[in-house]
Amino acid sequence: MKLTERQSDALSELINIAFARTGAALSELTGHRVVLNPPDVAVYRAEELRGALAKFVPGDVASIHQVFAGSVAGDALLLLNYEGAVQLADLLTDGHQPSGYLDESAREVLTEVGNILLNACLGMFGNLLNVHVTFSVPRLHLETLDELLASLTNGKTEMHYALVIYTAFQIRDSSVKGFLVIVLSVASLDRLIQEVDAWEAQQGR
Amino acid sequence: MTRAVSKKRMRDPGSKETLLNAAVLHWMHDLAAQGIVTTDSELNVVEWNHWMEEHTGKSSADVIGNNLLDLFPELRERRLDRHYKWALEGKVSVLSQALHRYLIALPAVTGEHGQDQMQQAVRILPLSHEGVVIGTLTIIDDVTERVRREAELQNQIEERSRLLSSEKLARNEAERANRLKDEFLATVSHELRNPLNAILGWAHMLRLGKLSPANAERAVETIYRNANSQAQLVSDLLDVSRIISGKLRLDVRTVDLISIINAAIDSIRPAADAKSIRLQAMLEPDAGPISGDADRLQQIVWNLLTNAVKFTPKDGRIHVKLQRVDSHVEIEVSDSGVGISKEFLPHVFDRFRQADASTTRIHGGLGLGLSIVHQLVDLHGGTVSVHSEGEGKGATFTIVLPFIGVVSHHREAEPAPPANPEEITTFEGLPSLQGLKVLVVDDEADTRELIGEVLKEVGSEVITCRSVEEALIALEQHKPDILISDLGMPDEDGYSLISKIRALPSEQGGHIPAAALTAYARAEDRMRVLRSGFQFHLPKPVDSAELVTVIASLAGRAYKSKA
Repeated sequence: MKLTERQSDALSELINIAFARTGAALSELTGHRVVLNPPDVAVYRAEELRGALAKFVPGDVASIHQVFAGSVAGDALLLLNYEGAVQLADLLTDGHQPSGYLDESAREVLTEVGNILLNACLGMFGNLLNVHVTFSVPRLHLETLDELLASLTNGKTEMHYALVIYTAFQIRDSSVKGFLVIVLSVASLDRLIQEVDAWEAQQGR
Repeated sequence: MTRAVSKKRMRDPGSKETLLNAAVLHWMHDLAAQGIVTTDSELNVVEWNHWMEEHTGKSSADVIGNNLLDLFPELRERRLDRHYKWALEGKVSVLSQALHRYLIALPAVTGEHGQDQMQQAVRILPLSHEGVVIGTLTIIDDVTERVRREAELQNQIEERSRLLSSEKLARNEAERANRLKDEFLATVSHELRNPLNAILGWAHMLRLGKLSPANAERAVETIYRNANSQAQLVSDLLDVSRIISGKLRLDVRTVDLISIINAAIDSIRPAADAKSIRLQAMLEPDAGPISGDADRLQQIVWNLLTNAVKFTPKDGRIHVKLQRVDSHVEIEVSDSGVGISKEFLPHVFDRFRQADASTTRIHGGLGLGLSIVHQLVDLHGGTVSVHSEGEGKGATFTIVLPFIGVVSHHREAEPAPPANPEEITTFEGLPSLQGLKVLVVDDEADTRELIGEVLKEVGSEVITCRSVEEALIALEQHKPDILISDLGMPDEDGYSLISKIRALPSEQGGHIPAAALTAYARAEDRMRVLRSGFQFHLPKPVDSAELVTVIASLAGRAYKSKA
């Protein structure tokens, strides 16, 4: 499945609204201006995901993972490489001296950040689709990309697609790259794209 | 648990399974090591576990049925109520300790670690039934202890990296100092060897005895000049060592700067003349006197002048100015020499520094002169500054010394030390020591012989000894009129000799006039020498004229015991 340019633009625009909310929430929380770069959206089949992500996150990855359920169901993740995760936590907590590792407090912060971002995006999709979505508690995992992808597709027989949204957190003259990955069933993705088309048409374009 | 079972249970609230679950939940709430609060969809408290009772001091009976946001108004003030709004929309919230500190202000269980507020990690969750949110669940974890441990660990890491970096800094500094020392040692060796080569070379020729009288005279003069320049290097080194160890003492008196400057100019004039450098002085007569050490002040001016001559090319010009400015006296030495680059200006007074540090540098010297000037001026409570328009544009050194204002009439301003120390001493005009018996004690044969020769030249009889033991025997046998003794000798030193002699009765030589010879030329050494029973202190290397004068004056007075 491939998004048309218009669909891709419309999706980016919608996600950007959620990103703006996330940035505002993080700015308020930390007292520093936090901006998320305009998203860059692409769709991959689940089995293509590894190839698409591997070059950006070659080593260990830190992921904040939330499962959502309802008439649209799937997995939502904020994905950072390990160094990026450490840097983001340090930047958000007025990091004393860069710590170089993630202690429990840093993991909590990343979980909260992921939660805010995923809530904003999935909440936005929920509103768009006019469906009620329930969320699991967000959990932070530190593992290799392969382990992460295995846990996503484990036990799933239906064909799945992944919406990969590339962005970067801009904080205090620093930039931390990250991915928002939403894994959906074909049916869920179809529904989402239909709604995006409808929204786009409504905008009078 | 399947959806079917759950639906069945809900339809049958009285079933055995539902009752069991409720009982289990009751215990879990009661025993949980975390705060658990349940509300309905209006945020009225439904469940308040034992942990919450214990830590808030509010019993469940007091809170159940009350609105959570009314019970804790700070939730609204801190805008945390929105997490409950989101929960009612079906969203999950996690509140990290690092970004929120706590949800509800509670005292820490132990406040001894500097945290009196309990640090919390919180989850606020929707409670849904069949897609409808019917309430909220709040779970509060006490993470105070964890945060403290993390901070401790972080401190240790920071401390370690601080130590590492300061260690690295210290290592770099030590390496730099070491390098500087190596360079300095190389320079010292080089500078000491240069005159030594000339001395050895000419001395060798003299020993062969094949030089014409004219060349022999030249040889002696060259040897003398080079030895002098070596003596100057050594004395500079000693000065620096004294300055570094804080042992340099000034012999402060009222001094007349004009005669001091004139003496310095006189001594440098031959060197200036040799390069056809014009040496001009403009000395204001009412500039002095000041209070200071005459020798050291002359050394300051002499160092500046030597420096100026060294760095001024042939046919150049050196100008010395002395003037009074307000309550200060200003000595200015300016030259038309090579000047100083902007980069080197700040380092001019650094020890061991010359702008050109290469091994093939044109200008000799240890690079100590200006550093000594700086330190000596400092000791006088003055300042020294340098100005140069850049390379090739000459340099001006300005010394500012405090003016003492009132001239002491009780004490004559000290005249300058004898000018032109390099001048070769002749024996003409020296007092005759005819018939005087002098006992010379020194473990170094060269010194013994030199003094012996000088004294024989002026007609005295000389007895030389190598040790204290020999000296005591000679004293008894020869009954000398004067004693000249070295201080530093192996076995027994000069102090021991003089104390033994002073313990003797007068007829056995106990009151013999005595002078000490020593390379230790510090003020405190002088004091010790005089206290121990010598009348005079003669610094090494011995100046022949001074030696003869001292002996002549000693011959006029015998030692008088203070007792």
